[in-house]
Amino acid sequence: MLIAGIVSIINSIPLSIRTIYSYSKHYLGVTARGQQEKIDEIRDILTYNAPVDVSNVIPARVSEAEVKSIVGSWPFVFLGLSGDDMQLYLDRVTGGAPLDGRLPISGRPEAVVSRPVAKNLRLGMGGIVMGPSNKAGYSRQEVEIVGIVDSEEWVLFTSYEYHHENHFPPIDVLLAFADDPADQEEFDRWAEKAFEGSSAKVFAYHNLEEETNEMFATLYKILNVIIFLLVSVITFMMAMLMSIYLQQRVPEFGLLQAIGYSKKSLLRRVLAETLIVLAGGWVIGVLCAYGMLLIVRAKLMEPNAFMLDPLDKAAYFYSAPVPLAILAAAVLTVVLKFRKFDPVAVVERRLI
Amino acid sequence: MIQAESASLLYNDHGKEVWACREIDLAVKQGEFLGILGPSGSGKSSLLYLLSGLKTPTSGRVLYNGQALGTLSDDKRSELRLNAFGFIFQHPHLIGYLTASENVQAACRGKDTISETEELFESLGIGDLLHRRPHELSGGQRQRVCAARALVGGRHAIFADEPTAALDHINGLKVVDILAEHRNGGSLVMVTHDLTMLEKADRIVEIVDGSLVQMDRVP
Repeated sequence: MLIAGIVSIINSIPLSIRTIYSYSKHYLGVTARGQQEKIDEIRDILTYNAPVDVSNVIPARVSEAEVKSIVGSWPFVFLGLSGDDMQLYLDRVTGGAPLDGRLPISGRPEAVVSRPVAKNLRLGMGGIVMGPSNKAGYSRQEVEIVGIVDSEEWVLFTSYEYHHENHFPPIDVLLAFADDPADQEEFDRWAEKAFEGSSAKVFAYHNLEEETNEMFATLYKILNVIIFLLVSVITFMMAMLMSIYLQQRVPEFGLLQAIGYSKKSLLRRVLAETLIVLAGGWVIGVLCAYGMLLIVRAKLMEPNAFMLDPLDKAAYFYSAPVPLAILAAAVLTVVLKFRKFDPVAVVERRLI
Repeated sequence: MIQAESASLLYNDHGKEVWACREIDLAVKQGEFLGILGPSGSGKSSLLYLLSGLKTPTSGRVLYNGQALGTLSDDKRSELRLNAFGFIFQHPHLIGYLTASENVQAACRGKDTISETEELFESLGIGDLLHRRPHELSGGQRQRVCAARALVGGRHAIFADEPTAALDHINGLKVVDILAEHRNGGSLVMVTHDLTMLEKADRIVEIVDGSLVQMDRVP
C-alpha cells in the first residue's frame, strides 16, 4: 500500500502534464521567431508541402496563463482565436463537446474555458479568469468566463481581437490541423524537420511527451532507489518475522517429521502457506492502496482537477518485488532451517 | 518384523564421540509387546529411534520386513513411519492450533479416519474432548490424545518413548493399558525406566550404557 501510494502520487505529476497539455496533440503549432511577416510563408509550407492532407491552418495569438498543480503553478496557454476558428478549435480539440454559455464576442474581454480549467481555478460562469491583478494570468482588463465546455480537455481562449489588443507577443501562431487526426503526429514530425534551422518555432505534442519522459527519468531513478531501499528494509523485517514465526513452529515441524511427514512435504506445506499469506497480503494491500487513492483523488485531487490514477498499473507493479523478496527470504530461511533439522531433538525437547 | 543386526549409533557430542547404542541385536515380533528397560542415559530412547527409523545406525542395520531402513530415502522412511508406525513420546506433543481430533487425523494424511478417531476417543475415555484444543486439556488427557494418534489407522508397530514419564503412576498405567489393549494386533515397543509400567509386556530387554545386558526376561 505504501509503495503503490508513493508511486501513484508521483506518477500523478507526469499524468497531470500529459492531461493538462493534451489539447496540443490535436494540432501543430508553428510561429515565426519574432517575424510576423514570415507567417504567410509558413502557412504556405504547411498547406502545400505537408505529406498529409491538412484541413485547416488557423492564425491564433498565444500568451501565458497559469493553472494549479500539486507541485505549484504551471503555465497554461491562453489563446486568441478569431470568429469561426473558435468553433473549429472546439470541434477538433474537444470533439464538439457541448458548450454551456457562448463563445467570446470579438474584442471583448471574454473567455471560454473547459470544465477542468474552471474547476482548477475554482471559477464558474461569470468568473474572472484573467485580469490586471489576477494570479492566474495578467490581462489589461478583467476577462470574464462566458462559456464552459463540457470536455476533459483543458481549454482557455478569448477572441483573437481582444488578445491582439491586450497581450504580448504581437506575433501569430499558426495552428495546423491534419485532415485525419490519425495523421497528426506524422504531420508534426514532418514539420519539425521541415522547419529545422529556420526562423520558425514548432510546438508539437510529442515534444511534450519526450520532454516529460526526459524530465522524469532522473526522478524515476531516484524513485527506484527509494523503492529498492524500502523493499530491502521491508523484506529484511519480514524475513526476521518469518524466521521468528518458523522458530515458533519448530515443535510442530519436528513432531510432524517424527510421525512421518518428509522434509519435502513440510517444505511444500510451509511454502504453500507462505505463498497464500503473501498473495493474500498483497491483494489486501493493493485493495487498501486502491481505496486510499480513491479517497485521495476524491478529497484532495478531484476538487482541483488534479490528476491521480488509482488504477495506475506501474504503481502496483512497483509493489510486486516486496512479496517476491519476502518469498525468497522465506524459502531461504526454511531451506536453511530444514537442512540439518533433527525431529528427535524436538520430541526430546532439546530444541524447544 | 523389525530386526536390529549389530546396530550401533554414535553421537557427536560437542566433538566427543558417544556410543548411544553398541552392536544391538534385537528382533521385534509381529504383535508382541516389547519393553525396553534402562536407567536414564542408557541409550534406550536411541534404540527406539533406530528401530523406528527416526535414526539410521552408524554401523549395522535395522530391517523392517526384510528391508533395511538405512537404505531407504528420507521420503520412503517418512512414508513408512506415517503409514505403518505409530509414535508416542515422553512429552505429549500436540499441534496447538488443531483440535484434539484434528491432531489425531494429522497422523493419517489422506485417509478418512474421523469415525475411527471418534471411536478411539470414546474407548480412551476422552470422547467429549474431540474438539478441544491442546491448551484446554490436562497432561493426562493430552497423552491420551497422543495415544489415539499413535493407534489410529491400524499401525503395524507402535513406538512409545517413556510415555508415562510426565504422568502420575495411575495415569501412566492407564496410558500403557490403552496402548496395549487398542493396538489391534500391532507390535508395541515401549521404553521406560519404570519396570512397573511393563506388567503387560510380553518380553522385556534391558539396556545399560548402550548395550543389551539382559535379554528375553519375561515379567
